[in-house]
Amino acid sequence: MLEINNLHARVEDKEILKGVTLSIKAGEVHAIMGPNGSGKSTLSHVLAGREGYEVTKGGATFQGQDLLAMEPEARAAAGVFLGFQYPVEIPGVTNLYFLKAALNAQRKTRGDKELDAADFLAYVKQRVKQMQMDVKMLHRGVNEDFSGGEKKRNEILQMLVLQPKLMILDETDSGLDIDALKVVSDGINAMRSKDTATLLVTHYQRLLDYVQPDFVHVLAGGRIVKSGGPDLARELEEKGYGWLAAA
Amino acid sequence: MGSMNSPLQHYADAFERLPEAARTTHRREALQRLLALGLPTPDLEDWKYTDLAALRELTPGPSDYRTIPEGAPPADADGLDAFNATFAVDGLDVEIAAKADLAEPLLATGTGHRRHRIRVGRHARALLRIELDPDAEFQTAFFDVDLAEGASLQVLRTQDATPDAQLITRIRARLGRDAKLDVSTVDLGGKLGRHDLNVDLAEPGAEVRLRGLFVASGSGLIDNHTRFDHRAPHGTSRELVRGLAHDSGRGVFNGRIVVHPGAQKTDSEQRIANLILSPKAEINAKPELEIYADDVKCAHGATFGQLDLTALFYLRSRGLPEAEARALLTLAFAMEPLRQIPNAAFRNEALKRVATHLRSDLDEAALVS
Ligand SMILES: Nc1ncnc2c1ncn2[C@@H]1O[C@H](COP(=O)(O)OP(=O)(O)OP(=O)(O)O)[C@@H](O)[C@H]1O
Ligand SMILES: [Mg+2]
Repeated sequence: MLEINNLHARVEDKEILKGVTLSIKAGEVHAIMGPNGSGKSTLSHVLAGREGYEVTKGGATFQGQDLLAMEPEARAAAGVFLGFQYPVEIPGVTNLYFLKAALNAQRKTRGDKELDAADFLAYVKQRVKQMQMDVKMLHRGVNEDFSGGEKKRNEILQMLVLQPKLMILDETDSGLDIDALKVVSDGINAMRSKDTATLLVTHYQRLLDYVQPDFVHVLAGGRIVKSGGPDLARELEEKGYGWLAAA
Repeated sequence: MGSMNSPLQHYADAFERLPEAARTTHRREALQRLLALGLPTPDLEDWKYTDLAALRELTPGPSDYRTIPEGAPPADADGLDAFNATFAVDGLDVEIAAKADLAEPLLATGTGHRRHRIRVGRHARALLRIELDPDAEFQTAFFDVDLAEGASLQVLRTQDATPDAQLITRIRARLGRDAKLDVSTVDLGGKLGRHDLNVDLAEPGAEVRLRGLFVASGSGLIDNHTRFDHRAPHGTSRELVRGLAHDSGRGVFNGRIVVHPGAQKTDSEQRIANLILSPKAEINAKPELEIYADDVKCAHGATFGQLDLTALFYLRSRGLPEAEARALLTLAFAMEPLRQIPNAAFRNEALKRVATHLRSDLDEAALVS
């Protein structure tokens, strides 16, 4: 589904990704771990199409299409979703409007019929309940005055509404209390199927206890320096990253 | 300061053509002041962006003259006050009884030059809706407001003008002890908009709030001047203003705060944020603080910028096309000062105007209120 091939990217004059190669097939869950500043968010942003990054070498395809040539909104309509490490506040624009506008824009691009207000409201309320959020949140501004944990929950709500194929979740587990982690994990697991794939960026084993990955990778210094199964995450939790840098 | 120079002669002639009943002593005295003072010119600091020269050629207003509130001109009256007093065709002259609570707003609407006087009695509450003539070639609407002790007045003024409209308003208000004035302004479109808000916080505990949005577009100019005089202790003033300029539109916000000697514990805050949406657009925002008391809190800030790129990416990453994402962020920026308007009808009206002006296909669910 996603093929990243020798991807090099830089910000301003700083090279951050120095040859990332990764292949994710439909049905799989991959976890990326790695020290602060190693390039995990940079990789996520480049895949979602954020401006300001220059890809100097290599590339990425999504379902056979040249992902990096697409506008961010086209990537979204094709099924790419990025859960932000730091979700953005958009004061004044309601969650309800934002979600409906986003879903209908994607549906329009895909040639599907847009949902009317009543159908959408029923559809979105069900998912708000699933995320154990208060339906009143729909009439509040997007992430406006949300706590850190509420913002992360809201990312997963957006994901459930938009039903993407590839979910890139950048530290969605950071800042969640134990109950919220369970709700968020259930949301992620609900999206797992043979047709979807997930890339989890995380620092903690505790997320991976709920959302079990098929593969775990370590990104360090802009490269994947080690890959393995779920056991690798437990090993990292014990030993940290030092032994890998030495390797 | 010329006396009978020819542009003013035009006004003297226009006055003589007024219906006889309209040529009252009050209007004639105002004309004399107008001829003596002339209209403000761009060499005055407060008028450096707005040139009224073109207005001198215009014939003042329609001819259905009624009685207007009369009274001595305010101490700081200029030629424009005199002009308005000479040619105002009509206006409210209202006195609200102590402790009255008016649910329905007073309406200051209509065409032509207007002069209004509104007095709100002790502990009374009132609403004032000012709607300018969207098609006016030249309209002035001047307000003389007096709030007695504990009185409260909420004002919503909208300018939703056609590209040729030239609109000038001036609100002068005197606030008694613990009186509250809450002014919301939505200025959209027009060729020229010049809006003055002069508030005298004359007694302790008075409070004034301005929530303003202006959108300058085409080749239009919107020039806002506020002056708040804190003359007594424990006064509060708040200004939350957003300015937008596209095309070759120009916006001005000049916010003067004077804290007079003895006005201790004054609490004043002025926040102006501007969004410049085209390379030819321009906004000048200037706070002017004069502080003659030592135990006061005066905060101010003006920002100028483009749309937040992180927010833009966030919206696009969810599938919103770039143009739609930009429009939505622009709208959210513009609405910010208006979302907190206390009166629900005023708030909804203000938000709806902005939504309609900035993009017409937005449904109500978009707006946080
Ligand atoms: N706009 C930018 N300008 C300059 N440097 C940047 C910019 N964005 C990211 N960087 C740098 O790139 C490096 C990688 O950052 P990135 O956010 O991808 O790390 P990360 O692996 O996600 O870290 P964390 O675990 O702390 O979230 C860091 O050194 C960061 O300071
Ligand atoms: Mg990161």
